[in-house]
Amino acid sequence: MRLTDRRFALALIAPAALFLAAFVAWPLLRFVTNAFYEISPIAGGPRRFVGFGNFATAFAAPAFQGAALRTIVYTLIVVALEFTLGLAVALVFAALGSRSAVFRTVFMYPLMVAPVVAGLLWRFLLIDNFGILNELLRRAGLLQSTDQIAWLSNPKIALFSVALPDIWLTTSFITLVLFAGLQNVPGDVIEAARIDGVRFPTLLFRIILPLLRPVIAVALIVRGIDAARAFDIILIQTNGGPQDSTTTLSLLIYRTMTRNGDPGLASAMGTVYLIGMLVVATVAILAIWRPGSDQA
Amino acid sequence: MNGLETRRRPARVILWTALAAVLVLYGFPFVYLLLTSFKTPLDAIAVPPQVLPSQWTLDNYVAALSKEGVVPALINSVATAVLSTAFSLALGVPAAYAITRYRTPSGRVFVIAALVTRMVPTIAVGAPLVETMRRLGISDTTIGLAIAHTTISLPLSIWLMSSFFEAVPVELEEAAKVDGSDRLQAFRYVVLPVVSGGLAVTAIFAFLASWNEFLFALLLTSVRAQTTPIVIANFQTQFGLDWGGMTALSAVYSVPVILLTLALQRHIVAGLTLGAVKG
Repeated sequence: MRLTDRRFALALIAPAALFLAAFVAWPLLRFVTNAFYEISPIAGGPRRFVGFGNFATAFAAPAFQGAALRTIVYTLIVVALEFTLGLAVALVFAALGSRSAVFRTVFMYPLMVAPVVAGLLWRFLLIDNFGILNELLRRAGLLQSTDQIAWLSNPKIALFSVALPDIWLTTSFITLVLFAGLQNVPGDVIEAARIDGVRFPTLLFRIILPLLRPVIAVALIVRGIDAARAFDIILIQTNGGPQDSTTTLSLLIYRTMTRNGDPGLASAMGTVYLIGMLVVATVAILAIWRPGSDQA
Repeated sequence: MNGLETRRRPARVILWTALAAVLVLYGFPFVYLLLTSFKTPLDAIAVPPQVLPSQWTLDNYVAALSKEGVVPALINSVATAVLSTAFSLALGVPAAYAITRYRTPSGRVFVIAALVTRMVPTIAVGAPLVETMRRLGISDTTIGLAIAHTTISLPLSIWLMSSFFEAVPVELEEAAKVDGSDRLQAFRYVVLPVVSGGLAVTAIFAFLASWNEFLFALLLTSVRAQTTPIVIANFQTQFGLDWGGMTALSAVYSVPVILLTLALQRHIVAGLTLGAVKG
């Protein structure tokens, strides 16, 4: 009986496993293998084994180093701002109680918008000359003239500006997850702390956030991975410019593969990127989530 | 009732004001997109920009929808998303059931493997898939793109469905088995109806993952199977900077899914928070 149970289970899992093996694992393996070859961009063109040559080229290239750094900075900007804003809104919702339900729904809508639409929309809001954001800031008296901030054409701030639609798009995810987590914080714990005269910052940092740690971990890891992979939202706003100031790894790899026609080098860059993601995500999971050490 | 809820009146006034401010900031970008879609071309790029159209018009919608390739792209988007949702459910639901009901080692390895696929940069799978699809003879087809989108939605479906199956009591199936059903019948006629809400949530997420996807569509399609996100992106290169057309097509593409998901919001919230909150 036991064995047949096991076979039954295997029969149900097998189709999904075979699908992922054929369309994720196998392509991925080919991608990593390609990193060790010099490949002609023409389909069926010649391949020459070059060992770690592509990796050496990638690591020595300022473009790669810069893109790696920008990917990290972009991810940190997105995750830090989303977490701060997301937590603040979740706490407001929790403090207002059940009457905030309708507003939680409204707040959620950007999650359904395609990243490419969000990117174009924000490009339109931030664009030089006729961008509405600077106009509204000027009317509010915060800017003297609308060309004071060139959001997407000043290389010094462009990486921050391209992160705005990403933050707009998915802060609701963090809010929803943290809000759901806050519902599970035992009310009597907070009540007891209040009676003891604990002030709100202490309550937040010493009691609420530690209790929410597993939830925070999942939210940050999921969003961190997605931010580090951001592609269309940046491509559509700046195409990596101005002066490469928004070229992150995913854009650089795409460009190296298609426009520069060097699939081998692109694969080496992608392999380093992939390994980096796996290492950071694993460390993050072990460090903040600590599965096993407490109920996650 | 949650201990965090505040009952003091001044505090509540301040909080409601803060919430209203956040909601206006959050709602404005999309409202502005909708308003722009009803402006004339000159209005859309007027300096200084105006929030409201000086003259309301449907011209942008007419122009965008009559542009070559736009209607086929909308049809492709629907077909790809429906097909990919079907693939995800057909493959993911049985797998998730087996993983939660029979806790075999192979199942556990599989869950971890499925989660790791989430960390893979899309281009690392997408670039080699171009070659795979050519070998299979499905380059630039809806089915090829749907398969690619399923690589995103299948791990998500397995993750979500596992949480829903977790909540079904084993006794239910055991009762069915006592009544003479075999395992497959118990699954089909007893368990699946119980998780129908979960199936709906999973289907919506699989649908949205395909509907909004860009990079696979960019790599794997050229003309025949092109989906709407690619066409929207092309508004800025192929046709110059046509902001009116872009906003109109974006509205056509986004408003139905926003309305659909708002209507089903309770289920969606459950799906979004499931994996994260209960462990």
